[in-house]
Amino acid sequence: MKNNECALKVEQLTVNYDKTPVLWDISFEVPGGKLVGIIGPNGAGKSTLLKSLLDMTPQLSGKVEFFGEPFKKVRRKVAYVPQRSSVDWDFPVTAFDVVLMGRFGKLGLLKWPVAADREAARHALEMVGMLPFAERQISQLSGGQQQRLFIARALLQDADIYLMDEPFSGVDMATEQAIIALMDALKAKGKTLFVVHHDLSSVDRYFDWVIMLNTCLIACGPVAEVFHAESIMRAFGKEGILLGEAAKLTQTKTSGIN
Amino acid sequence: MNTAFLDFFIDPVLRAPTIGSMLMCLAASFVGVLAFVRRRSLLGEALSHCAYPGVVISALITPLFFSASEEALALAVLIGAFCSGVIGLWVIDKLEHRFRVSDDAALCFVLAIFFGVGVLVASRIQITHALIYRKIQVFIYGQAATMTDSHVYMYSGLVLLSATILFCFYREIQVSFFDRQFAKSIGIRTRLVDRVLFFLLVLAIVIGIRSVGVVLMAGMLISPAVAARQFTHSLKWMFCIAGLVGAVSGFLGNFFSIALPEWGKKAGFDWDFILPTGPMILLSSVTICFFALFFAPDRGLLSRFCRIVKFRDRCILENVLKSMWRKGEGAKVSFKEFASWASYSQFFTFFLLLRLRRQGWMEKKQNLFCLTSDGRLRAAHIVRLHRLWEVYLVHMGQKAEKVHRSAEEMEHIITPELEKELTDLLKDPRQDPHHQPIPRKEV
Repeated sequence: MKNNECALKVEQLTVNYDKTPVLWDISFEVPGGKLVGIIGPNGAGKSTLLKSLLDMTPQLSGKVEFFGEPFKKVRRKVAYVPQRSSVDWDFPVTAFDVVLMGRFGKLGLLKWPVAADREAARHALEMVGMLPFAERQISQLSGGQQQRLFIARALLQDADIYLMDEPFSGVDMATEQAIIALMDALKAKGKTLFVVHHDLSSVDRYFDWVIMLNTCLIACGPVAEVFHAESIMRAFGKEGILLGEAAKLTQTKTSGIN
Repeated sequence: MNTAFLDFFIDPVLRAPTIGSMLMCLAASFVGVLAFVRRRSLLGEALSHCAYPGVVISALITPLFFSASEEALALAVLIGAFCSGVIGLWVIDKLEHRFRVSDDAALCFVLAIFFGVGVLVASRIQITHALIYRKIQVFIYGQAATMTDSHVYMYSGLVLLSATILFCFYREIQVSFFDRQFAKSIGIRTRLVDRVLFFLLVLAIVIGIRSVGVVLMAGMLISPAVAARQFTHSLKWMFCIAGLVGAVSGFLGNFFSIALPEWGKKAGFDWDFILPTGPMILLSSVTICFFALFFAPDRGLLSRFCRIVKFRDRCILENVLKSMWRKGEGAKVSFKEFASWASYSQFFTFFLLLRLRRQGWMEKKQNLFCLTSDGRLRAAHIVRLHRLWEVYLVHMGQKAEKVHRSAEEMEHIITPELEKELTDLLKDPRQDPHHQPIPRKEV
């Protein structure tokens, strides 16, 4: 599909919460058709990066382009999978309802899902092995099943770029393998996937491209080239912690807390 | 006088309060569902108190500019309540987002301040404008009885408005309340959806305080939603059920406020009064809510209790089968012997055996009880699950002498899928940790 084109281009992106820098002058480019891992310690700004790509957090400066266009113009080509813990799983909806939400972006105002949308939702549920649970209330599902629902919802969006926030946190091994298989299948179709990931040991098995973050960009490139001991040290070692502490100090000083 | 059911919708005096209350409860329960699933149930409490100063001040100002007709006053009070509700909302929003006050603190703060101001002004005009004071007192505890047809028209317009908004933006509301981040990513303006909810909330409160009053309004918002949640897992049905509960309790409130004293009089009491409608409406809806909590088919306490009893009963039956199986194939046991090793009363044992025979697990030959072939199979299966579980626990590092107790319970619980996984994991063992044989799985 859009293999050769640059799927995502970020230029000098800076994001602050209050006055604390969360992302600092990030610039990188990722070609299409890659399975990209976003790696970094806690609080490195991985989730924030995804959110600012989606225009959800106010950016101080910088430019984000998907296929050479701003997010607002290509919204339908981008599917987002938020962290599982960010939603209220007691909410009165069934698994099927959740997946169907994947079509809401395509429907305009005052349009209702039609039979084809429902069929597509069932198909997406089947792809993640959740069809038997379609009518289950979501609070009765296990963590892995809930995550599969989110993936199914993203599949239904039929996007070219997938942004997934920690899809492997708190899921069982079977689900992790199933999700990885789906991701590989999507990649084979020429889609680009960005996945926030925690487990360093599986990075080289799962991904073929990696973005390493710790407030600043540490590295971005093919796993084989940039994912090595030195860059891991820089992302997870003492250097990064100092920057975080400095940021926290700035915050307390400038806001007059202490 | 004996008021018939239908009179509440026909009688010129009764119909306006009845229909008005029902409409109001309908709107309140729709919006209540939203606030409930958004986990902002307390917002209704704060906002209804916020509306009070608006009521007082607008009732005070209107006669200065317009004729003091009932209709003009009613409309002015609605607008005043709406405005001060919106101001309260704005203050809460600012406190939470600008000043980082936690939401419960912000709600308490705004509730107290606004209601305080209202009471302050009201106590002043108690002396200066006694007539107006009496009119606005109605809004504290609600008084449906004095509603007229013009109120009903006004309310039905407002109800229609909020129902339309809900219907048209149902999908946007659902997705942004469930998963805010995702909603943002597909281009739904979640802040706007929140605003719409808050707007509807203020609207419902403005409609509602005339009949149930600022103090009881929050209960009216939430109790139909709580009741509906017990019956369904779907937001659509929650709206429908809550609406029904709301409308029914609106009617029942009016009905009982008149019918109860009538019944009392008939029974010979000296009950010469009409009960206030507002509290009666709320009591009806809370009663329905309690019924739902106890008797709802899936989540209700009663059905949970029934399930526990059923499970315990199955355990007892299965334990009997198991003990019979241990006696060996073809073993026959007399009733007396049975009663001696079962720790139940003779009466209970008799029925236990009767049920086992009727279900086909046991049979009776010449006053002796024995297992049927089906019963033997079932008992063997229970023993198999028991011993499989013991093997599994020992496999996981437990001591062999400690695993029996856990297996006693798990033998009744393990599902066929779990059994298969255990069998695969333990490579279909032949012996349990106590060197007892594990019965084969029948194929």
